[in-house]
Amino acid sequence: MSTIEVPRAEFLEISTDQPAQPRRRRIKRKTVNTVIWMVALLALTAIVLYPLVWMLFATFKPSSEFGQNPGLMPENPTVDNYVKVVEGIAGTPLWRFFANSLFIAVMAVIGTLFSSALAAYAFARIKFRGVGLLFAAMIGTLLLPFHVIIIPQYIMFNKLELVDTYWPLILPKFLATEAFFVFLIVQFIRNIPRDMDEAARIDGAGHLRIFFSIILPLIKPALITSAIFTFIWTWNDFLGPLLYINTPEEYPLPIALKLYNDQTSTSDYGATMAVSFLALLPILIFFIVFQRFLVDGVATQGLKG
Amino acid sequence: MFNIRTRRTALAAAALTASAALVLTGCSGGGAETAATYDPDEKVTLDLAFWGNDVRAELYDAAIASFNEEYPNITVNTSFLGFPEYWEKRQTEAAGGGLPDVMQFDYSYLRQYSENGLLLDLEPYLGNVIDTEPLAQNILDIGVVGDETTGIPTSTNAWGMYTNPKLLEQVGVEEFAGGDWEDYDAWMKEVTDAATAAGVELWGGTDWTGRIQNFEVQQRAKGEDLFTEDGEPNFTEEDLAAFWEQGDAVRTDGSVIGQQRLEEIYPLSGFDSALTASELTWDNFGAGYLGNLGTDFTELGLFEPPVTEEGAKDLYLKPSMLHSISAKTEHPEAAATLVNFLVNSPESGAAFGTNRGLPASTTALEGADLDPLSQQIADYEASIADRLGDAPPVPIVGYGTLEEKFRLIGQELGYGTLTVDDAVSQFFSEMDVVLNQ
Amino acid sequence: MTTTQSIVTAGADAKAMRRELRRAERGGPSMSPGRRRAARRESVAGYGFLVPWLIGFLGLTLGPMLYSLYLAFTKYNLFKDPEWVGFDNFVRMFTDDPQFMQSVQITLVYVLVGTPIKLAAALGIAMLLNYRNKGSGFFRSSFYAPSLIGASVSVAIVWRAMFSTDGPVDNSLSFFGIDLGGWVGNVALVVPMMILLAVWQFGAPMVIFLAGLKQIPQELYEAAEMDGAGPVRKFRSVTIPMLSSVIFFNLLLELINAFQIFASAYIISNGSGGPAGMTNFYTVYLYKRGFADLQMGYASAMAWVLVIVVAIIAFILFKTSTRWVHYAGENR
Repeated sequence: MSTIEVPRAEFLEISTDQPAQPRRRRIKRKTVNTVIWMVALLALTAIVLYPLVWMLFATFKPSSEFGQNPGLMPENPTVDNYVKVVEGIAGTPLWRFFANSLFIAVMAVIGTLFSSALAAYAFARIKFRGVGLLFAAMIGTLLLPFHVIIIPQYIMFNKLELVDTYWPLILPKFLATEAFFVFLIVQFIRNIPRDMDEAARIDGAGHLRIFFSIILPLIKPALITSAIFTFIWTWNDFLGPLLYINTPEEYPLPIALKLYNDQTSTSDYGATMAVSFLALLPILIFFIVFQRFLVDGVATQGLKG
Repeated sequence: MFNIRTRRTALAAAALTASAALVLTGCSGGGAETAATYDPDEKVTLDLAFWGNDVRAELYDAAIASFNEEYPNITVNTSFLGFPEYWEKRQTEAAGGGLPDVMQFDYSYLRQYSENGLLLDLEPYLGNVIDTEPLAQNILDIGVVGDETTGIPTSTNAWGMYTNPKLLEQVGVEEFAGGDWEDYDAWMKEVTDAATAAGVELWGGTDWTGRIQNFEVQQRAKGEDLFTEDGEPNFTEEDLAAFWEQGDAVRTDGSVIGQQRLEEIYPLSGFDSALTASELTWDNFGAGYLGNLGTDFTELGLFEPPVTEEGAKDLYLKPSMLHSISAKTEHPEAAATLVNFLVNSPESGAAFGTNRGLPASTTALEGADLDPLSQQIADYEASIADRLGDAPPVPIVGYGTLEEKFRLIGQELGYGTLTVDDAVSQFFSEMDVVLNQ
Repeated sequence: MTTTQSIVTAGADAKAMRRELRRAERGGPSMSPGRRRAARRESVAGYGFLVPWLIGFLGLTLGPMLYSLYLAFTKYNLFKDPEWVGFDNFVRMFTDDPQFMQSVQITLVYVLVGTPIKLAAALGIAMLLNYRNKGSGFFRSSFYAPSLIGASVSVAIVWRAMFSTDGPVDNSLSFFGIDLGGWVGNVALVVPMMILLAVWQFGAPMVIFLAGLKQIPQELYEAAEMDGAGPVRKFRSVTIPMLSSVIFFNLLLELINAFQIFASAYIISNGSGGPAGMTNFYTVYLYKRGFADLQMGYASAMAWVLVIVVAIIAFILFKTSTRWVHYAGENR
């Protein structure tokens, strides 16, 4: 593993540049710190990842092992679970469920970023009558358990004849109904010093220009965070599609992977595990790709605050 | 994707079948639509919803394919989910107005949906569109709520006892030879003790006082259903306390699998996991057990439950599922045609086999190819004929809640976190709420 | 004072707004036409930016919320029209429902114990990750991975396997001489197990902390170092104040989420809230009452009791936040 190599390389490189004795000791201490840091993180990673590794191994267990073999290793390893799930469910190929989920999630990300950032800017930077009341209302929508508003919302979408379409899943995202993201972005905008937008205002810039050319670039970490969460949470959303989608070919993954279980007859837990694991991969890749942007967010651009 | 409900095209007013007039009575606000009957040339789309897994979905696809050979103009859009999700969705649709045309229905929800006028009264179609010849009267009666027939049973099941012969052989104990509940407890202890001696992790069974069905069987042995025709409770606090106290012995001497172990193997049961040698349950659970036990186990034993009272008619046939039609369907006749096909046709019997339980219709049963287990279930239901009484009244609204509450109380008794007296008063106060909702 | 008003005063630009209002009052009718035009322009811009949110709020959220408030005072079984019963639901809740009381207790334990642990873990790991950049992509992804899992039966299977008798948790604890046996079926250990599940999925607050840490200008640390500040000192006088807006966000949202814990408990217990009611958390119970028992009136009443409790907590947090939350954009 690279744990040992990396710090050593750094040490050598720097030490040839800076041969001075006290400096060397400091670098040595830094190297020791880095090693400790690495070891600590690796240990934590191992603990955190163990259940996922268990899950991966479980995808190779035949269905009958689930009640009888609680261990990590399958007793009779098999790839049957994958063979079965790749065939799809009742005539619908597996990729179709992935495509459905992907479509909904991508639309949700676009909608949430667009609408939440606009609303957040208004709440954080514009002084107008009623802003406080509206902000309180927005926080208020976070507090109510969503179960009690399911039925009235269903009635509305049913009246609009939008049931069995993706609209009830996507439209709310374009209307910033997830206060979580509005509030998140508000907090980040409020943390940006006002010097820059005030300078821009003196130059005659309006709110639209300030928003697009000053604020948006500065809240990149918040936007990336919102994008990641929206994608993952939409990908995993179960209740929305359950209520609004009737046609099995249009089901997203969370519904599809339940279709291997029927408590009233037989359940294929092996297949369930395999689909669950496959369903993890796209969002894992999404996260790996996008988490990089968290690093080169604001910090590298420098905040002159 | 939008659900395209085809509009009724201008009908060539010919070809009215004899049942047209009858159909009108089942059609709400028909107005000038004299031709509410199903016209074979008209293109109709029906939504059909059922609960089940991928396996059942494929069986439905096969059945509908043969349905379409006969009725090419009826397009059937199927939609399926697991059992709890299925009902969550139906409840929302019922409140929001938008149930599918044809639904696979569960007995415990039948009264609720019927009494609130959500299901179509099938009376006008019985004997014409829906063939009643292959369905015994006591089976048809199961789907009657008040004076309306709102569901047709597809299949029946009965309460029974599954055993695991291979495990019993392993520990050297004979099958349960029959007897009363105490005999059963003694037999379970024998199995558990033998297993302990042999160093095998195995118990004789599960604490049977956790299931409301066992209480029902014991009450019926006294000639009393749990609820009256009017939905009033028909048992006392003393009855219930006496029932739960019967479990005290097995719970304390460890001859049944402990609650803790059961939690660890969830979502499987003790019997699924080869940890118990017997289980009192509905007889249609056999296929699921075999599937979950895996290829090491090829056969199960199926016997009658312990006897409370010699000669009592304590068992009954329950519909494992029914088919119902939404009261708001635009195509009642086409929907009834589909229901008839799914319940009665040999093609449907051939497609489903016993996936939905043992077919209730003789014509469907003839079409079905029974595997050994299904044959065993059919034989079992025939063998208990003299213990089979009339089915109890259609379960009260909220029966599902009570059944679940009963199960949870059973768990707590297993943990010892609840005394029998507290359990009884909790159950009765829950029942109060349910009956008054 | 109603909660709405309270949050108003603590709300987004409340301070600035109050200043503005005071100025307007002072200026009164003599406020210059130019200022008034500017104020109007600000209002137009404000509402303009809010258009999507306003449509969503008024069109999709507000109506159903008010309807559920109405239902809280009714008996409603989803099938028949709601029937007005006044405060009956609330009375039953607090006087005649042992399950409700148990549910409140375990939910409070879950919130009060779980939230601080989860936030501490998230902040701790975020700072560890921020400390060096080596392999940080790998670590970030690894630590976030558990949070990727949706609420499927797979989670139930995995989590039960981890905490069953002779499972990895039991075995590692036994190694240190702590013999607890399996957690899953042990009534006393189910809530701790659920807390650990929540802590395991600390990815969301961790990522938000990370994003917040990235927003802290490096110069501040350099300046602190020049002044001879050690790591503890830097944490207390640079990290915490600069991160306070994000800490505040995470604290508030994690509290709200914890109060509304649903999916994991529902999945793990197969919707039953068992064993022995120990996963029957507030929202799980509310949901069972509403959808399984069809007592939507009672469920709505429960929902609004929760709203009031959480709103009070949110109000207190917003109130105290003026003392410890620092906004770089508003500190002048």
